Amino acid sequence: MRITFPHMGNIYVAMKAALNEVGVDFVVPPPTSQRTLSLGVKYSPETVCLPFKLTLGNMIEALELGADTIAMVGQYGPCRFGYYHKVQELILRKLGYEFQMIKESLGIMNMVKYITNGAPLSKTIAACRFGLAKLKALDELERIVHKIRAVEQQVGNATRIYRQAMSAIDHATDYQALDRAKQDCFEKLTGIPVVPSSHPVRIGIIGEFFVVVDSFANMDIEIELGKLRAQIYRPQSVWEWVRFNPFIIFLSLREKDKSHKAAMPYLSCHIGGDGWQSVGEKVLHARDWDGLVHLEPFGCLPETMARNIMPSTKEKLPVLDIILDEHTAKAGLLNRLEAFVDMIRRRKRDKICV
Amino acid sequence: MIKIGIPRALLYYQYYPMWKTFFETLGAEVVVSPPTTQAILSAGSSRVVADTCLPVKVFCGHVLALMGECDYIFVPAVRSVKNKIFNCSKFLGLPDMTKAVIPKSPHILDTDIDINKGKRELYQAIYKLGRRFTWNPFKVRQASIAAWQADLKYKQLMSKHGLTPPPAIERISNTTEVESKTPSDNPPPTQATIAVIGHPYLLYDEHINHRLIHRLEKAHYKVLTPEMLTTEQLELATARLVGRAYWTYEEEVVGAGGHYLESGVDGVIGIATFGCGPDSLMMDMVHRQAARLRTAAFMSLTLEEHTAEAGVVTRLEAFLDMIYRRKRRQVKACV
Repeated sequence: MRITFPHMGNIYVAMKAALNEVGVDFVVPPPTSQRTLSLGVKYSPETVCLPFKLTLGNMIEALELGADTIAMVGQYGPCRFGYYHKVQELILRKLGYEFQMIKESLGIMNMVKYITNGAPLSKTIAACRFGLAKLKALDELERIVHKIRAVEQQVGNATRIYRQAMSAIDHATDYQALDRAKQDCFEKLTGIPVVPSSHPVRIGIIGEFFVVVDSFANMDIEIELGKLRAQIYRPQSVWEWVRFNPFIIFLSLREKDKSHKAAMPYLSCHIGGDGWQSVGEKVLHARDWDGLVHLEPFGCLPETMARNIMPSTKEKLPVLDIILDEHTAKAGLLNRLEAFVDMIRRRKRDKICV
Repeated sequence: MIKIGIPRALLYYQYYPMWKTFFETLGAEVVVSPPTTQAILSAGSSRVVADTCLPVKVFCGHVLALMGECDYIFVPAVRSVKNKIFNCSKFLGLPDMTKAVIPKSPHILDTDIDINKGKRELYQAIYKLGRRFTWNPFKVRQASIAAWQADLKYKQLMSKHGLTPPPAIERISNTTEVESKTPSDNPPPTQATIAVIGHPYLLYDEHINHRLIHRLEKAHYKVLTPEMLTTEQLELATARLVGRAYWTYEEEVVGAGGHYLESGVDGVIGIATFGCGPDSLMMDMVHRQAARLRTAAFMSLTLEEHTAEAGVVTRLEAFLDMIYRRKRRQVKACV
């Protein structure tokens, strides 16, 4: 059995570490590329959303490399995401691939048992913990990078250091190596010379989870915003998702719950995906952020609803809606980001003058 | 008397007799918005963002058409009608969205119908809705039982007599006069049987589907729709095709599609709207099933507000010609 899984942001680092630890044979799909997207688009229904196309492309590329089992998340909830695996399985079978699809309907324990090939549970848990530790380290570093990109003297330093750290963390085989890689990156990041007395604008990135965390899907929007000297606040991350999603959380520790509460006057219930959170973040951070970039794949159900509701909130905050699909061009995106950041900067300056 | 407006869009076609009975038993008057027109559609689409799906735009148009006509507008959030099966986001956030995009609308009566939360919550939601008209819980109970019976009668009427929702609603609303005119003396021989599948708010809104069913009937085709099947038939067909249903209204697309493809109709027309999330995958499922079985011709028709009548007619003609030729060939082969 050679197991594979589609990409979503940097989740592959955790999956790789955990599967390695358990001793399961696996294939990491090649990094998402234009070819992945083209393959996905070619075989997908035409009006389906971007994550479907990208994950399908990932699966095809992994199957080409000899994978024979696909682990795909599928859950019950009011978003297309849970339906993906049914259609994707049909498409891949039609293309003539022989494989096994691991479905949620097996139940979570059976699923874990199947994936780990009956390895003892203690080993599986230890492996998952190591994977999660890697994700956590990456997440912490990413949050620092989001801030430093806006103020570093030489543009591109922070990104370079982060990429190095990512590969170091990916290669780490035990907790010590992981700590060392993280410490090392942390020191390098704090040592980056910064522009004195700069006032970066603060921009929140919210929207549909997949396109927010996946840098191919959102065309490196964080790096581009960093180049425009904007500090990024991104409440969603793979670490948050993995940490809270599969388990019921009793205390309202999540950032999500806070934003849900804030959204209550405008949207009183969960509408699937991250629509509720998107509205909530706008309300919650209307004072401490200068602007909001709202990302969504074309045709996303919950985010379309959120986009309808967001302009009616009493808390005002400029929002840039970016709708992503296979036809989105990077130049267009850059133009819009630049205009948006300029607008926010002007607004901020006016406010200070008054 | 309190006037309650019900927009003639989205779930109207499924639940109107139920809602009407409920409100009328509680002593309110029910006003329905007029059938969709271009003006209603344009007014609705000017309120929401461009890539919202067509039925929601139509819905907003109907809410606008009801402004000034009533004291309350009934916009329920039907979250799920079966355990662990959810509805599309557009239905879940409908009351909130209506409030957001039409700030000057009359007071919105919203209620959460969610089976997942259990019976207690459901009854409370119904009681809360009834509380606006009476303080007496027994009256609310009586009204909801009457509503439930009206709904059963409506569903039976459709599956037994093979009626589509608009004539069924008409027959329920005025019981006496319609009976006499329905059976025609000598019906002309039908050309072929065509099943039209999709959500009721697309199939029976004559403006947005350019009178598709009417056209088929005019050309002497026998038209079958999802409502003409019983719930068991739909559930069985869905289970065969995709296993457990994922969406609330999956049966009327996947179930009906799967059933009709296997039951020997001559053609199946799937109607979806551009940008509909559930349909983008469900229609694909039916499409794949049709390609696998090769028993009936399948055409998928995507509607949006720019869909031109001429385009729909051309495609329909081509499809019907193809079915005609196919049948002729079959007859020849038999001879």
